[in-house]
Amino acid sequence: MDAVEQAATKEAESSIDLLVIVLDTNPSQQFVRQSPQNLTQVLESIIAFGNAHLMQKAQNQLAVISCSHHSTDFLYPVPGRQVELRQIDGQYEAFSLVEKTVKQQLGNILMNAPRLSSPCESLLAGSMTMALCYISRLQRNVAAGAKMHSRILVVTGSNECASQYMTFMNVFFTAQKLGIVVDTCALDKTLSLLQQGCDITNGQFLKVTQLDGLLQYLLWVFLPAPQMRHKLVLPPPPKVDYRASCFCHRELIDIGYVCSVCLSVFCKYSPICTTCHTIFKTPGPLPIKPKKKKKVEKQM
Amino acid sequence: MADDENEDQKEYRWETGYEKTWEAIKEDDDGLLDSAIAEIIQKAKRKRQVQKAKQNRLGMMRHLFVVIDCSESMSVPDLKPTRLLCTLKLLEIFIEEFFDQNPISQLGIIALKAKRAEKITELTGTARVHLKALEGLANVTLTSEPSLQNGLDMALKTLKVVPSHASREIVVIMGSLTTCDPVDINLTIDELVKEGIRCSVISLSAEIHVCRYLTQKTLGTYGAVLDDAHFRDQLLSQVDPPPAAKTQHNSLIRMGFPHSKDEVEGKDAPLSMCMCHVDNLDEPSELCTTGHHCPQCKSKYCELPVECQSCGLTLVSAPHLARSYHHLFPVPNYEELSMESVPQLSECDGIRKCYGCQKVLSAPHDKMVFKCSHCKQFYCIDCDIFIHETLHACVGCNTIPGVAGLIYQQQQQGGKTIAAETHDMLPSTSKQQRQFSM
Repeated sequence: MDAVEQAATKEAESSIDLLVIVLDTNPSQQFVRQSPQNLTQVLESIIAFGNAHLMQKAQNQLAVISCSHHSTDFLYPVPGRQVELRQIDGQYEAFSLVEKTVKQQLGNILMNAPRLSSPCESLLAGSMTMALCYISRLQRNVAAGAKMHSRILVVTGSNECASQYMTFMNVFFTAQKLGIVVDTCALDKTLSLLQQGCDITNGQFLKVTQLDGLLQYLLWVFLPAPQMRHKLVLPPPPKVDYRASCFCHRELIDIGYVCSVCLSVFCKYSPICTTCHTIFKTPGPLPIKPKKKKKVEKQM
Repeated sequence: MADDENEDQKEYRWETGYEKTWEAIKEDDDGLLDSAIAEIIQKAKRKRQVQKAKQNRLGMMRHLFVVIDCSESMSVPDLKPTRLLCTLKLLEIFIEEFFDQNPISQLGIIALKAKRAEKITELTGTARVHLKALEGLANVTLTSEPSLQNGLDMALKTLKVVPSHASREIVVIMGSLTTCDPVDINLTIDELVKEGIRCSVISLSAEIHVCRYLTQKTLGTYGAVLDDAHFRDQLLSQVDPPPAAKTQHNSLIRMGFPHSKDEVEGKDAPLSMCMCHVDNLDEPSELCTTGHHCPQCKSKYCELPVECQSCGLTLVSAPHLARSYHHLFPVPNYEELSMESVPQLSECDGIRKCYGCQKVLSAPHDKMVFKCSHCKQFYCIDCDIFIHETLHACVGCNTIPGVAGLIYQQQQQGGKTIAAETHDMLPSTSKQQRQFSM
């Protein structure tokens, strides 16, 4: 081992890895509607995965955020009083603390949740802003000299909602700026916005085809720290489509017109911007019109 | 120039009364200074953010020339190690930040050397070129006087031909107290005013009348630096896009959104070279399968955003545009309240916590808390700053469905709704939307 590599290993050993799991607990997700048992299974996998992360290094830290249809809450850690703990079967206390707290908190949230009359979207982007606030606080408080690597893992089976586009983008750019990796584990559908986010922040996107093997997928793809992922054989990155969709018809376009004031995208030229009501100076299309008129005159 | 006195309301330091700076520090009940100091720190943190004025129309596509004085006066070591080296170091930060915040803008650098102006870099959108050029400037010999007029003239010549929908700006960094110009500088200033080019000056020594006059006439900002930290603040304040100039013409700009080529099933894309490195002998192009293809002429580029070399189409990706949206939809400032107004959580032993980072709020460090007037959640000072300066999205407004939903409906009833189809790209938080429709 040469000196550079040795230094890198030493750095990796002393650094703190923070993993924030954003778990979608919305009951309108496809897999929950099929069978409520599935949510329990996903939760068990998440807890086991979280504990596996804590097990890797003594300094590692974990946070779990639940994103439900009515609110976003921290499942672990919870400020204030700790859950009462007794050692069970010789299990390391920190692990049973994670398990107990997460289950108890999620239980409270689900019991207090308002009844859901119709399926509604999960505000995942909002939950990610909360995760970023939490990470930025921990990063501010890191002791001098110590390094902290943070990442966010989103586990969701929801459809993504275009109304959260702006928040998602703000989240991705903030994460990119702070060097936070965003990973996504999609349980149901391919999510193009989160795919873009993973690409922007160098994270990993994975669509799980079989829910039964969730823990295995998690341990295989998302457990290794991002710094050592290039040494592993992981699923190839999907081709991300970065085309903009126009504001007028919501279609993906190759060539479009962009308003110089508010940067709205249109697929056709229009004399007034529908978003900021700016009136444009007409460039190209006008000179063509008089020509046509002339032709008509001549014919007449 | 007699109108200066009326326009300039700013008082100079020596004209104000005697300041008793120590009176700001007061002992608390226990005779400690901790709380007073914490308060001062908090105030300083928030100051910059409150100053940020809300703007509806901004010049988002910027063409900016940085004019650097490279005369003898730049070798003065009052900024460490010298004025020039300090400037170059800060410019590096500025350039990275500039392209981060203004992805579809262009920048160029002009150096004022021995009464002459020399263009170091042309207007381009890639930070790499500028950073490389700055490295070269570090070893330049600093002699003689600068010529402000020559520098402005050179920038003017290039900016004149820039399309009128762009915001055109010049930032001058002056070390010298004098300028040695060929003819009357007022002619150049008049020309700049006519073209609507915004000029800002940062002076490293003292205030110079002609510079202040220039900035007043062209609606720019003027600053004389106190020390390197102040210099940094002055420079970074140029990163935010300025309000759109009145002379600026609004127009729709044709842009291309490249995507990876549609491949034949089961086959990799053919190996090809990218246009950006074809002529570049220092870094020769590599044959590869990946890249962005211009939708019009199919030439390949390895980085975006770029202007297509063969057909002149501006190529961008959707996130580039999205990156600038936060200037247009800023999070409104929060209300400052005392900590006692935060409700105590009954289930957690009556503690108060910050909604964003879950920090348990405690005196004296969290004496002041911040409340969003839309979602009615409370935040600690650090979250307040983080949300406004980095995240640009309010946590509460984005996590509580009722808040987002309710105001959406209100807006629709109010008849101020922006066409329903546009929802997909619009800000998700309703309050941002309300501002936007004004």
